[in-house]
Amino acid sequence: MNRRDLILGGATLAAASPILAPTARAAWQPTRPVELVAHNGPGSGPDVFARAIVTTIEQEKLSPVRFQVSNRVGGGGATAMNYVVDKRGDPGVLSVWTSLWISLPLVQAEARSTVADMTPVARLVIEPAMVVVRADSPFTTMKDLIEAARQKPGTIRQSGGSVTARDNIVRQLLMAATGTRWAFISFPAGSERIAALLGGHVELMIAEPTEAGEQIRAGKLRALAQVGEKRLAAFPDVPTLREAGMPIADVPQARGFVAPPGIPAEALAFYEDLFARLVVSPTWRKYVIDNQFEEAHLNASQTGAFFSEYQGRLRTILQEGGVKVVR
Amino acid sequence: MDVISGLQQGFGVALMPMNLFWCFLGCFLGTIVGVLPGLGPAATIAMLLPLTFGMDPASGIIMLSGIYFGAKYGGSTTSILLNIPGEASSVVTCLDGYQMARKGRGGAALGIAAIASFVAGTFGIVALTVLAPPVAGFALRFSSPEYFALMALGLSLVVVLGGDSLLKAILSLLVGLWLTSIGTDLFTSQSRYTFGAVALISGIDFMLVAIGVFAVAGVLESIHAKEETKLLPVPREMRNLLPSWAELRACRFAFLNGSVVGFIVGVLPGAGSSIASFIAYGLEKAVSRHPERFGTGVPEGVAAPEGANNADSGGALVPLLTLGLPGGGTTAILLSALVLWGVKPGPLMMQDSPQVFWGLVASLYIGNAMLLILNLPLVPLFAQILRIPLFVLFPVVLGLTIVGAYSIADSALNIVMLAGFGLLGYAMARLDFPTAPLILGFVLGDPMERAVRQALTMSQGDIAILFSRPLSATMLVCAAAVLVLSLAARFRRRPSA
Repeated sequence: MNRRDLILGGATLAAASPILAPTARAAWQPTRPVELVAHNGPGSGPDVFARAIVTTIEQEKLSPVRFQVSNRVGGGGATAMNYVVDKRGDPGVLSVWTSLWISLPLVQAEARSTVADMTPVARLVIEPAMVVVRADSPFTTMKDLIEAARQKPGTIRQSGGSVTARDNIVRQLLMAATGTRWAFISFPAGSERIAALLGGHVELMIAEPTEAGEQIRAGKLRALAQVGEKRLAAFPDVPTLREAGMPIADVPQARGFVAPPGIPAEALAFYEDLFARLVVSPTWRKYVIDNQFEEAHLNASQTGAFFSEYQGRLRTILQEGGVKVVR
Repeated sequence: MDVISGLQQGFGVALMPMNLFWCFLGCFLGTIVGVLPGLGPAATIAMLLPLTFGMDPASGIIMLSGIYFGAKYGGSTTSILLNIPGEASSVVTCLDGYQMARKGRGGAALGIAAIASFVAGTFGIVALTVLAPPVAGFALRFSSPEYFALMALGLSLVVVLGGDSLLKAILSLLVGLWLTSIGTDLFTSQSRYTFGAVALISGIDFMLVAIGVFAVAGVLESIHAKEETKLLPVPREMRNLLPSWAELRACRFAFLNGSVVGFIVGVLPGAGSSIASFIAYGLEKAVSRHPERFGTGVPEGVAAPEGANNADSGGALVPLLTLGLPGGGTTAILLSALVLWGVKPGPLMMQDSPQVFWGLVASLYIGNAMLLILNLPLVPLFAQILRIPLFVLFPVVLGLTIVGAYSIADSALNIVMLAGFGLLGYAMARLDFPTAPLILGFVLGDPMERAVRQALTMSQGDIAILFSRPLSATMLVCAAAVLVLSLAARFRRRPSA
């Protein structure tokens, strides 16, 4: 496969598709570069995501001004959240939000800013995940796994991130739905979680397809189920949790953009329109496919509704799982 | 043989004029990034990543890994000359490197650092070339109980690193362990010792502590000692600017020690290069015939950690290239770069993209040689910094530390914390407390706590898991041996003194 051909192909498509100039669409437009906040350092998930947005906006000529990534690191994300809230009324700032933005204020008393204080702009993608075991594991279906957990409670071990992360939330839901119990072991880095599984030190993990895909292709890991509403194109034979007989609520891990509170309605309309055009552009579609994301665009008001619904659901799940919730 | 034909193919790729250029550019940029405190290789690679979009994947990875290796070379420069660690991996180099500079051997220390980097870096790459698949299997056998044992081995080095008073060394270690516990607990998502401050939720950055306790405290101490009119002695003759034969001979074991320790620790995805350099330094001191001279400017004290942090780079590429598992921030970005170029890192990469794999490996040999050639002539030049009168140099040093501290998180509060750590280091020096144990505790505390909690969850609370696995049992025995032997040596020395 030649990457350059793909890019050239993408560029030709972009040139052919009739994208209207922003002036024809919105009454307001930015006159100086827009600051795009990422809550982690260069190379981290939100940073890479923000830079992909900048690249797409530039390649598709979606904005009259440049977008610049600024890394506001610290506080486990709280620094960036406080920054957005403190920029009240400033239409020149946008920030990436991830599921962390919803869970962090629930468990951290210090994280005073919540997404409810900000202006929702858009949800863009959902990150799918898969329940994976080692290829030589005795478990070939979710049912096998649950049965084993039922017979020897607490002996099966899952590697994952922090207790507020999606992998633990899904575990809590699965345990509650099936009346079983297994252990959750936190590792700070994704590579350590996979290494623990590959080395046979834990029995399962909920991994992102980009993390686990190559291991599955190499015959080292096996996927039991997909965490999501529908099957991924790359894994057509792996059932979703619901198809595998696990009737649990969907816990989408999503990403999108927010703006500071109190920005002018015209500015919000401009950004809403920008993201609506961005998600249908060929550059963005290729990015979504390459990174095995699920396209999940919501407009501003839908994103706001998503925030409040998701936060409520997360609060209940965390409380039931014994995590101290402060808000 | 497989390796030979692979390398042949690799050198074919790496020796293409364009790729030689990219390799040189990466090494050059990496050296600069390494010299500047606060700006690390991970951030640099992330910022340069968009420029590599149109490049061939082999050229791209050759340039980016040049930055990765170059930063390790450059990191020692400010450690030695100014007592400011340029990178986390060069913190340990301050201990003896800066003292050598103060004794007029700054050029020699820089030369030793470059040679140790080259020797151990090459060892790491050779080991990567011939041992990668079996060593990757070893890395997977290493899990939380083994990490606990490794950190315990590191912690046992406190008796070696501490000064005359064991009690003071242990107190210093405890302060380090406490400082590293500040922040959010991974296992419960609860805050510890943050006192409601958002800036503390993610914990304190290691570089902030190291720069404060070494560089800022060092300046305060020199002012106290009224050194303001004295110049650091810098001999004029060229041969005095490079290491002498005797100094290089003293480093024989350090080269080997740094190479082996650095590579092994590097292979493990859960242990960073600052741990590698600490363990190599501690081991060097433990087996030395004159451990009491460590910390006063011995060449082995520079060679061991500098070697280790370079061999670590080769080791860290093993899990990245054979399993698709990055061991740290920089390798994580190299991984996302590979994905962006359409290469799929993972167990099949060696088969699917041999030109990338072998091109990279071959370019590392070339890059390492380039870095040595690039760095040795710079030694006499950099050493001239020591001619600057202290009343000019100290404000510059403080300025650099402030810029470095601020740029870690673009936060003014970091400057306040930097000043705090500077005062802490100064107070410790006045009261004759060694600072190395504090840094050791800060580096090891967090991974050690994590490892023991992970291990106990794995075993459902059965502590035997820490002792019953062969690898971890071996390392715990080593830790006990270090403790017993150095304590014995300590008490034998005392009556005669």
